[in-house]
Amino acid sequence: MADGSASASRIPAAGLSRRALLTASAAALPLLVTACRGIQVLGTPPPPPADVRTLQAAIAAEEAMVARYASALKLLTLAASTRYSAAAAGIAAYASARAVHAEHVAHLAQLKSRLVEPPGARPSAHLPPTYPTATPGATTQSPSANSTPASSPTSSPTSSPTSAPGSAATGAPSARGVLGELELAEQAASDRLIAELGGLPPSLAQLFASIAASEATHVEYLRAARRGR
Amino acid sequence: MTSASGQDTGSQQVLAALQAALAAEQAASYGYGVVGARLPQGSAKQGTATADWVTHLRAADKLTVMISARGGKPVPAAVAYQLPEPVQTATEATALAALLEDRVAQAYLGIVALPESGLRSFGAQQVRAAALRAAAWRGSTQAFPGLPTASLRTAGSRPPDAPANAAP
Repeated sequence: MADGSASASRIPAAGLSRRALLTASAAALPLLVTACRGIQVLGTPPPPPADVRTLQAAIAAEEAMVARYASALKLLTLAASTRYSAAAAGIAAYASARAVHAEHVAHLAQLKSRLVEPPGARPSAHLPPTYPTATPGATTQSPSANSTPASSPTSSPTSSPTSAPGSAATGAPSARGVLGELELAEQAASDRLIAELGGLPPSLAQLFASIAASEATHVEYLRAARRGR
Repeated sequence: MTSASGQDTGSQQVLAALQAALAAEQAASYGYGVVGARLPQGSAKQGTATADWVTHLRAADKLTVMISARGGKPVPAAVAYQLPEPVQTATEATALAALLEDRVAQAYLGIVALPESGLRSFGAQQVRAAALRAAAWRGSTQAFPGLPTASLRTAGSRPPDAPANAAP
């Protein structure tokens, strides 16, 4: 202790106490580390440009649409597996929805190819919260729907063609209801893409317009399938 | 200093895109004349062809006005056009109608590429309308109406104007 006091008393000759030196070193360490890691750690990175956010939102919406179709296809499988007269409509509806689903997968691939993500980025981390998530509308699959679709060969279909998917009366989904919901989603998606064209780079605007046109044709295609034409 | 020449360039781009759309509409109008002649007389399809023909005539008129309003001189329609394939049957006529609509959609995508938001929206609406007519004639849909296959990219390739939040 006495030696320490003595040495401490000699340090002022150098201009700084030992305690001050230690404190200064500890304070400087984070700055040195920061300098080594670059300027990024000094603040949050800037938000992505507007066109990037628009593209990310379109990707999220297209992912939701693909998920919506995947869910609808499961419901339509149920509809097609019934022994009712609605089975034929279910099979036709399934084929129509599957064809459109494939086009949405292609849309998603093209949209994703236009976005360059930084390494290690989490795509879902910067998606706008206002976009729909991958919930296939109100079509929820009841547990009973997984059971034998037609328990009795003599039973008659009780769900009306225009009833909502997942009819409570039978537990089986209505093919027309499923297609009707897809039509609404397609029309909304088409309109949204056209509304977002402003400010996009030319080639991306063309892709958006083309996908919007494709989705508009899906509306008519699904409508024709729903009406059995 | 560059604004005047930039405006000129922009105006030229707009006029070029509008002229291309006009040319596509004029060709479609001619083509629908052939389509209608090869479809059964009085059939529903012939009625649709007639309605679509009128639609393209009106669209050409609208584009003519738009070009004139921007100081351009609308290029008149040709007397006749070379058909991509001989059209003798109703099936071939239907295929031609779908092809005409594909080309119209492609031409309007040129307007979508312009920076002016009003024109962009107009072009997109016309692409959508053409795609709907094409799908009706074809009986099936397309994933990318109006977009040439060459313009579609595989994952990993990046177009020059692709938005990116990081360098590749």
